[in-house]
Amino acid sequence: MVKRAVFLAVLLLALQVALATGYPLTVTDEVGGTLTLQHAPQRIVSMIPSDTETVCALGACDRLVGVDTLSDWPPGVKALPQLGNANQPDLEALVALKPDLVLTDEYSGLAARVRALGLPVYAGTPQTFDQALTFFGTLGRLLDRDTQASVLKGRVQGQVAAVAARVAALPAAQRHVSVFVELDPTPYSVGPGSYLGTLLDRAGGRSIVPASMGQYPQVDPELVVEKDPQVVLLMDAPYGETVAKAEARPGWSGLRAVEDGRVIALDQQQVDMLSRAGPRMGDAVVLLAKLLHPGRF
Amino acid sequence: MDRADVRPLAGRRPAPAPLVVSVLALAAVMALAISVGSVPVPPAALMGGLVDGLRGHVHGTVDVIVWQLRLPRVVLAALVGAALSLAGAAFQGVFRNPLADPYLLGAASGAGFGAAAVLVFAGAVPWLARLGVPVAAFACAMATVAAVTLVARQGSHLPSVSLILSGVVVGSSLTAATSFLMLASRDRAAGILSWLLGSFAYASWGRLLPVAALLLPAALAILAAARALDVMQLGEESAAQLGVPIEAVKLGLLVAATLATAAAVSVAGVIGFVGLVVPHAVRLAFGAPHRRLLPLAAVWGALFMVLADLAARTVVAPAEVPVGVITALVGGPFFLALLRKQRT
Repeated sequence: MVKRAVFLAVLLLALQVALATGYPLTVTDEVGGTLTLQHAPQRIVSMIPSDTETVCALGACDRLVGVDTLSDWPPGVKALPQLGNANQPDLEALVALKPDLVLTDEYSGLAARVRALGLPVYAGTPQTFDQALTFFGTLGRLLDRDTQASVLKGRVQGQVAAVAARVAALPAAQRHVSVFVELDPTPYSVGPGSYLGTLLDRAGGRSIVPASMGQYPQVDPELVVEKDPQVVLLMDAPYGETVAKAEARPGWSGLRAVEDGRVIALDQQQVDMLSRAGPRMGDAVVLLAKLLHPGRF
Repeated sequence: MDRADVRPLAGRRPAPAPLVVSVLALAAVMALAISVGSVPVPPAALMGGLVDGLRGHVHGTVDVIVWQLRLPRVVLAALVGAALSLAGAAFQGVFRNPLADPYLLGAASGAGFGAAAVLVFAGAVPWLARLGVPVAAFACAMATVAAVTLVARQGSHLPSVSLILSGVVVGSSLTAATSFLMLASRDRAAGILSWLLGSFAYASWGRLLPVAALLLPAALAILAAARALDVMQLGEESAAQLGVPIEAVKLGLLVAATLATAAAVSVAGVIGFVGLVVPHAVRLAFGAPHRRLLPLAAVWGALFMVLADLAARTVVAPAEVPVGVITALVGGPFFLALLRKQRT
């Protein structure tokens, strides 16, 4: 018995060394659940838009069989069966697709529900830039796409490094453009510690919201007037806010951003790109750099 | 305690007939609800799934859909509907107030606060995450009602007016706290709001069994108090003179109705209107005495909730409408129509 066990263990070890990803593969996800894959997943359901983007960026788009309603990138995934979202999934339809891997977040509780139905699930989706880079590797290993994961990681890091180098070459006064990011008109904004805050930092900008207010605080309208941002990014433009309405707000007429015509309405694609910690993070930093430093990028 | 005292309130027809018809109607509605879903399942496969489930051999996609997704959901909706309706009838009877509902003493706002706290702080406080939403909601609902009762208590008496008032005030404070939690953590707000509006989407056998274990004794206790409730409708003093231990019955009913409400709210969220409207509708349709009202209220509460949940998951399928929205939208006009028909 012991000999056989040792033999098997050695064999498994040898297999894992020989192959990029050795199956069966057992991993632990971010909620502490274990997932064992017998082979590279061929029927993947993604319930998170950024996970959908990552699967496709790793060249496994053809293995997706279902996605959540908000998954819209790359455009081809819109043709796949839609299964609601992680908070309100269509579980019947999900089960009927017979997925061999379900990707979801760690907050909604969907992972536990899917696992209870006997389906393999990985819970955990990146919230920060660094987590996203790590997640490329994790997903690459799950899907046997390690090489593609390294390439993707290198590409994103390369984009960000190129922007950082050009930001460093700017005159000191222009390296920290002050930005008011408006998530909705009440107004909610982003702190420097939030995901978008860190992207701004890499693109040579800084949120006017003090770090002490947290990641996604509701701010006093007076704060915007007091901090006098150089640029305003209207992330709520796809939901009805306009530059004209924003500029007409009390006290805004004297803002630097208004006088310089730098109140910018973002479209839905740009908002998605800036909100999802996924393969388009590099593009997002480039986009921000172009918006913050016109003519320089 | 003479039966003759309450007999004139009862109708002439024997009580069992409407109850039998109602139970058959409930069974038909539950069968319908199990056969409808976003994935079409033919009747034979449906029966196969139920048989496999009863035998404990759940295998294959259809078995999982029928036995692990649909059946627990339908059964849970029926249990919660029955519990809320029964609790509502009990509160209305105890307080002799037609506006009373299961959430009168703050069970909903307490549960809502507990659920919101877990949804917001689960990431930062591991023990809250382990506790889970249902347990936290149940505990907070019970604690809120206990606090309300303690505040309202005067010696050994529980005056109805102080109970109702302190319930409303404590409820408002907790609702404000919940709203603040939602605003302070925007990324969790949608989850909290959808919980507050009620849903059976999370139904599973694992969630259903503890609820059933709490609900059944509570329901039996309420049903057993039917005769005492009938006597209490004559007024608390008259009932006391007739030998009904008023304070004991009142406390027992409040405890049982609160247990039922808290258990229901903990798994299904705050589903309004059922506990208010179904007992009144049953009263208008079948008569007022509690011996008849209570069992019928339970059955019709179950039936109404199963139908409401069926609507919730089919009208905009594959998305879902919060079931609390359906109960209020459909229940309101239905009740008003019944009220007008009764008057003319």
